[in-house]
Amino acid sequence: MRFVIVGAGRVGLRTARALEDSGHEVVLIERDPTKVERARSEGYEVIEGDASDEDVLLSADLEGTEALGALTGDLSVNFLACMVGKHHGCRTVLRIDEDYREDIYRKYASDVDQVIYPERLGAIVAKNALLGGNIQAVADIAQNLQLVELTVSPESPMRGYTLSELELPANTELLAFGKSGDPLAIPTPDESLEVGDTLAILADYDKLDDVRQLVVGDAVPARGGA
Amino acid sequence: MVRAYVMVKAHSGDADRLKAETEAVEGVVDAHIVAGDVDFIATVEVETPADVKTAAATHIMNIDGVEDTQTYVAMD
Repeated sequence: MRFVIVGAGRVGLRTARALEDSGHEVVLIERDPTKVERARSEGYEVIEGDASDEDVLLSADLEGTEALGALTGDLSVNFLACMVGKHHGCRTVLRIDEDYREDIYRKYASDVDQVIYPERLGAIVAKNALLGGNIQAVADIAQNLQLVELTVSPESPMRGYTLSELELPANTELLAFGKSGDPLAIPTPDESLEVGDTLAILADYDKLDDVRQLVVGDAVPARGGA
Repeated sequence: MVRAYVMVKAHSGDADRLKAETEAVEGVVDAHIVAGDVDFIATVEVETPADVKTAAATHIMNIDGVEDTQTYVAMD
């Protein structure tokens, strides 16, 4: 698929990289010549110009584009790019710069299909890293829903039980399970939970601590500790 | 008659309440939610320049969830 990314800064460029890694075609739009050069030197197709100018956006061939990601740090540019993108049939994703704006843009920006706040996931990853190595945020699915990967620790209260005996809190769902060292797979009820096994769980934010306590246990050894 | 435009920066996502409370301020004729660095732009129409200050700096600023305001007085 083909995507247009507005903004070749730290969010836009990384998103372009992730899309290309998955085999998609990406066109970047950037107004800062230094960032344009950098993205081009990394092999990206970059249109130099201000994406709040409709002519610049149209030169990216929006008709043949699946979705437009407005990922600059400038909300006005992001919003205008989404308006134009929507008009030309693209799905639109808008980056916001402050978390309180999430609800406002979800509600009022009718040309925006999805609102993202990159710092939210960054903060969760940082929190998890600070707490210890046994729980890892994989993705924010929705505002109150997160996909996490947990590793069974020696302190886990569920250690030795089977998956069918695992009773997760309400508003959580076990999506995948992997024995220690194996990749994640669709869970089967007879598998037992042993130290080092990993679970991918979809959970409401409010339930994350309960899930963590159940699977990982209370005592979380710090990475690299004694 | 003095007309002024007040840019309102919020720190709350409660846009409906903020808009309603802004519109209820005496002298405010309309308020719109906008995309960009500020969250609302309110139009104020009052008798004197001092009334602009009362509407913006006192009343709008005091709405719970408003972080900052910037006022521009129309010259034409």
